[in-house]
Amino acid sequence: MGKIVWAWALLLGVFAYSDGLESRCLACHKAQQIPNDLIYRRYLLKYSSAKNIENAIYRYLKNPQKKHSIMPPQFFLKFPMKKELLIPEPVLHQTIRSFIETFDIRKKLKLKSH
Amino acid sequence: MLSSEKRSLVRFLVIYLLSTLLLFSLASWIFYTSSKQHLLSRQKQMLKYTSKKLENRLRKLHKSHEDTLLYPNYKQIQTAIYDIDKHYIFGTYPKAHTFDATQKGILYEKRKVEPYYLGAAYILVAKPVDEAPIRNLQKNILFFMLIAGLVFSVLGYYLGRLFVAPMRESLNRMNQFIQDTTHELNTPISTILTNIEMIEALNTEHQNAKELKRIEIASKTLSRIYDDLSYLNLNHHYHRKIETIDFSALIEERIAYFSSMAKAKDIKIVRHIVEGVQVEMDKNDALRLIDNLCSNAIKYNKHHGTLEVILNHETLVISDTGIGIKKEDLKHILQRFNRANKSEGGFGIGLHIVSAVCENYGFELEMYSQINEGTEVRVRWEK
Repeated sequence: MGKIVWAWALLLGVFAYSDGLESRCLACHKAQQIPNDLIYRRYLLKYSSAKNIENAIYRYLKNPQKKHSIMPPQFFLKFPMKKELLIPEPVLHQTIRSFIETFDIRKKLKLKSH
Repeated sequence: MLSSEKRSLVRFLVIYLLSTLLLFSLASWIFYTSSKQHLLSRQKQMLKYTSKKLENRLRKLHKSHEDTLLYPNYKQIQTAIYDIDKHYIFGTYPKAHTFDATQKGILYEKRKVEPYYLGAAYILVAKPVDEAPIRNLQKNILFFMLIAGLVFSVLGYYLGRLFVAPMRESLNRMNQFIQDTTHELNTPISTILTNIEMIEALNTEHQNAKELKRIEIASKTLSRIYDDLSYLNLNHHYHRKIETIDFSALIEERIAYFSSMAKAKDIKIVRHIVEGVQVEMDKNDALRLIDNLCSNAIKYNKHHGTLEVILNHETLVISDTGIGIKKEDLKHILQRFNRANKSEGGFGIGLHIVSAVCENYGFELEMYSQINEGTEVRVRWEK
């Protein structure tokens, strides 16, 4: 019974935080004019797969440091280092996946006709 | 062209052409394999070049800030990009294509790239093998083989003729010698035999009857050798007159002819001859068949031996109690100039003539022999 209660609580928590990418990340990025697409491309260039990118972003968000960031050190001269996101783990992962999905390169790619 | 000469020429040509064909096939195969490899590597080189072009394009697209990134589409070439875990990102394939999947008849160029522009860690470029130049190569090789085959056949025939020339020369010389000898022998033999017959007819109680018999036997032997040699020599030009022969009467006549020879060796002649046996054949052929079998049965018989002649409507069997023939010699005994026993005289043409006559008429010839026990020759015309 206890497990079911916990599962429900977790699910409710996720729903409560769902669609939080805009409010939790992008709104701030937009306000500070941080280029999301550029950040995503840098991740792509270095990590290639969605899984690797997710791990790299997670590592940075859990411990925001220059050495964990994909951006060059000069970037932090202009933009301040963010604080650690204090949200439940599943929600954090869901938000990262949502970020990757939003900027997924496949959405932009189109086949050129002959 | 003599049959032995033709046989040697054919054998030479077969060996020569087969070895040439083998050599050419091997060389053509090596040439074909390396040329095909070269053609395929040229096609692969084109794929490599395309993959480099695609990599450059990815680099440009990666830096582009356009809303739509146009992925290049090369004519007749399929391309795809994969992430580091080999998951399909994008490509010209209608459906996601597995990186490691391969298909027969398709050339692939798979390359790892770094940095990962647009996340692409692997590039795959594929195109169907262009079979046209390979088919062209096959046609050229086949054409070359045909021409070479033709040239080498002509060359082989010419070389073969040169190869058998010495043999032809010696055979011609031998045939010429036989022809001359037989021609020169004919008249004296006939004279001797006629005169012996006259002496026997006129002087029934002649003092030298024994000596005369010896002369008669020797002359008959000479006469038979003459007949055999003439038969062999004229065999190809001789026009046969096929008629119904009373074989029973003919064999009785020939036994009587050979009786003096048999008597000289005290050979007992046992006859089991069915009367009225008729065979459709040329008389000279029948004579050569009977004479050679009887003559051999007497010549290779022991003193006081037996010569048995059996004739019925199906078979003629002539057997002796002579020296016999070795099993291994039986296989070659029918060949011309082959003699199983060289202790007796002769040219080794008797059984060759018998075999040739049987072959001409489709008779079945069987020989059974045991060393020191005798030989049995069986000619069967009714099957």
